[in-house]
Amino acid sequence: MKDMYILGIESSCDETSVSIVKNGTQEIATVISSQIDIHKSYGGVVPEIASRHHVKNITIVLEECLEKANMKMEEIDAIAITYGPGLIGSLLIGLEAAKTLSFIYNKPLIPVHHIAGHIYANSLVKELQFPLIAVVVSGGHTELIEMKEHYHFEKLGGTLDDAIGECYDKVARVIGLEYPGGPKLDKLAAEGKDTYKLPVPLKDDSYNFSFSGLKSAVINLAHNEEQRNNPLRKEDLATSFQKVAIESIISKVRKAIQDKNIKNIIVAGGVAANQVLRREMEKLATECQVELSIPPMKYCTDNGTMIAAAGYYAYLEGRVADLTLNSKSQDILK
Amino acid sequence: MRYLYIDTSSSFLYSAIVEDGSIVSKVEQEYGQDLSKEALPQIVSMFTNNQLKPADIDKIYIVNGPGSFTGIRIGVTIAKTYAWSLNIPIVPLLSLEAMAISSKKTKIHVPIINARRGYVFGAIYDENYQELLKPRHIKLEDLKMKLSAYQDYEFISNDTFEEEIITESYSPDFLKIIDFYKERESKNPHAINPEYLKLTEAEESLL
Repeated sequence: MKDMYILGIESSCDETSVSIVKNGTQEIATVISSQIDIHKSYGGVVPEIASRHHVKNITIVLEECLEKANMKMEEIDAIAITYGPGLIGSLLIGLEAAKTLSFIYNKPLIPVHHIAGHIYANSLVKELQFPLIAVVVSGGHTELIEMKEHYHFEKLGGTLDDAIGECYDKVARVIGLEYPGGPKLDKLAAEGKDTYKLPVPLKDDSYNFSFSGLKSAVINLAHNEEQRNNPLRKEDLATSFQKVAIESIISKVRKAIQDKNIKNIIVAGGVAANQVLRREMEKLATECQVELSIPPMKYCTDNGTMIAAAGYYAYLEGRVADLTLNSKSQDILK
Repeated sequence: MRYLYIDTSSSFLYSAIVEDGSIVSKVEQEYGQDLSKEALPQIVSMFTNNQLKPADIDKIYIVNGPGSFTGIRIGVTIAKTYAWSLNIPIVPLLSLEAMAISSKKTKIHVPIINARRGYVFGAIYDENYQELLKPRHIKLEDLKMKLSAYQDYEFISNDTFEEEIITESYSPDFLKIIDFYKERESKNPHAINPEYLKLTEAEESLL
C-alpha cells in the first residue's frame, strides 16, 4: 500500500493542535498552541474564552504545521478531526476548519473520538499488541477500555463521578497550588511521607472508579486541621492522596488483566505523565508479565498527532464522514 | 468577478454566490442548533448545483459579528480557512451593517440584535448607511435615549425583545451589500476574527 499522510486537527479543550502523521505511526510535524497561561487567572478553562482563542489560532497553526512538514495540503491524503467529546464551542472550530479543508481539497474526512486519539498516541511509540487494556486518565476521563483488535473498543468501566485529573486539580487547589495543579501536586508528593489516612475509593468488583469521595475527604481533612490550628503538611497530604488515588487505578487494572488474558497495558491521557502512576504501572506490568506502553510526555496532553495516528486506523476500518459531520460534547467510544 | 458571501451570525445561514451583479445561488434558511452541521454542506451544494469549484471564487465576504458567539465562529472559521488555503481575498463586514444596507426604506436605520437581559447589539446609520452611532453592546433603553435626537428612524431585527418594539424584518440584499463593500480592502485571513462587541463574563468579572 502507498504511504498515507494524515493531517490531524485537535481542538476539544484549550489546545489548538495540528499534526501530520505518516501511516499512523510516524510523526512528520506537530504544532500545538496551548492556552494554559490564559486560563490560569480563572482557575480553570473558561469555555467561551477557549473558543475565542481557537478561532484566532486555527489557520496560523495549520500554516505552521504545513511549513514545518514542508508539505502542501495537496500532498495530504486525508483529514482526521476530533469530533468529540469535549467543549462544544472549542470542538466546533477544529470541525469547521476540517470540513472546509475536506471540501476544498476533496480529501476524506475521518471523525476521531478524543479518547481513541489518546490510546493511539501509543502507536507512535510501538506497535499495539492485542488484546490490550487502555487506561485512559485525564482531566476529563478515567476509563478502562479493552481492545481485541485495531479500532475496536469495549469500555470495561469508568468513573462514576469526577475524572481523576479533575480530582487532582481540585486537591491541588486545596493545597494552594496554582492551576493546573495536578502536575505540581505530583512533584510536591515526591517530597512527602504518607502520613494522612484517606479512604481508598470504590473497593469493589467492578471496573469503575469514584473520586468525589476522596476529594471531599481531602477537603474535610484540610478544614479540620485548620479548625484545630494544626499546620497542614502539604507535601504529606499530596503523598497520601496520590497513594490512594493511584492505588484505586492499579487495583482495577490488575483485575482486568487477570480477568481478560491481556497482553498489553496502554496508559493514555494527561495523567499518564504522573510519576507515581508510571512507576506503579511498571511494577504491575512486571508482576503480571504484560507489555506496558506509556507515551512520552509530549503525547500525553492533547495534540493533533494522536488524532492523525488514530485517524489512520479509523480510515483502514472505513470510518469516513461526510460534510454534515457535527461535534458532540459527549459520545461513547465504540 | 465571482463572490462568496457567508453569514452565520444568527440562527440563520445566509449565503450566496454572486457573479457580475447577479445571484448565481443563495441560501436563506434557519438551522438553529444544526447550523454547525448544515452550514458547510449547504454552501457546498451552491457550488455543486452550479458546477463550480472552490477555486472559482475571487473574493469572500464574511459577516464576523455581532450576534450568536458560536454562530459567528462557525462562519468565520469556514471563511478564514477557505481564504487562507486558496489565498483568496477576504473582506469582513458587520451583521448590523448588512441589516442596515438591506433595508428598503430611506430613513435612519437602527439594526438591533437581542443580546438578552435588556441589552442589544445595535448601531445607528443614516440614509446613506454612514455610522451615526458605532456598533455596540448597549441597553435597549439607552439606545432609545440616543434615538431621541432623530425623528424618522426604523428598527430592523428578526429577534423578539422583552419589551414591545416595532421592527422591520431583515432579509439580506446580497447584491446591495456586496456592491456597497466593493471598495473595502481585503484582510489577511489569519487576522479575520469575530467582532463579539462584548467581553466574556469571566473577563468582565476580572475587571
